[in-house]
Amino acid sequence: MDMIELLKGVEFFDGLSDAELTRVAGICREVRYRKGDTITTQGEEGEEMYIVRDGLVEVTIGESRESAPRTVVNLGTGQVVGEMALVDRGPRSATVRCVTDASVNAIGREAFEQLCQSDTRIGMIVYRNLAADLSFKLRHRHLTRR
Amino acid sequence: MVYKVSIVIPGSESGGAIINLREIPKVGDRIQVGEMEVEVMEVMDLVPPRGDFHFMHATCKVVEPQK
Repeated sequence: MDMIELLKGVEFFDGLSDAELTRVAGICREVRYRKGDTITTQGEEGEEMYIVRDGLVEVTIGESRESAPRTVVNLGTGQVVGEMALVDRGPRSATVRCVTDASVNAIGREAFEQLCQSDTRIGMIVYRNLAADLSFKLRHRHLTRR
Repeated sequence: MVYKVSIVIPGSESGGAIINLREIPKVGDRIQVGEMEVEVMEVMDLVPPRGDFHFMHATCKVVEPQK
C-alpha cells in the first residue's frame, strides 16, 4: 500500500489533505521488527513515536526483577505508540513488544515539532487527533476494568 | 470509512486490543487479533464519528482453536 493511503487509515492524521500527508510521509522512517522484539522499554528515554503499519504490538507495564509485566492493551495496524514521551518528554511509560512480526513508521520528535511549527494547520489537526487518541485509549482502559 | 474498535475480552488478562477495521463489526463476527481469533458478543458506538473514522467498542470472547 502506498504511504499516503496508509496514513489515511491512521486517526492521528485524519483531516489532513494529500499534500499535508505527503509532508508527514517525509518524516516517517519504516522499521521492521520480528515477533518478540522490543520497540520501547518502560523508564527509558524516548525520542520517537511509532505508527503500527502492520502486525500487533503489546503494551505492558510494571516489569521488574520482582514482578511480571502486566498487559495494558494490544495495538494493531493504524495505532500510535510512544506518543507520550514525544509530547511530555518524560521517560517511556510502558514497554512495547511485538506480538507478531511487525512494521512501524517511526517519527522523531525534532522532525515532528518542526513540521507542526512550520505548518500550524497540520500541528493543530495532529495535536487534536493525538488528544482524541489518548482519550480513546483511556476509554478502552476503563472498559477493560468494568 | 475506518472503524477504530476497542476490543475487550471479559475475564482475560490480555488487556484487550485497539484495532482498525474496514467493515463495521457485528455480533457473531470473528476478528483476528494477532494470533488470536475472537468472536464479537456485543458492539456499540463508543464516541460519535469524526471525519473518516467511527469509534466503537466490542465485547468479545476468544475462539478456541479447533483440535
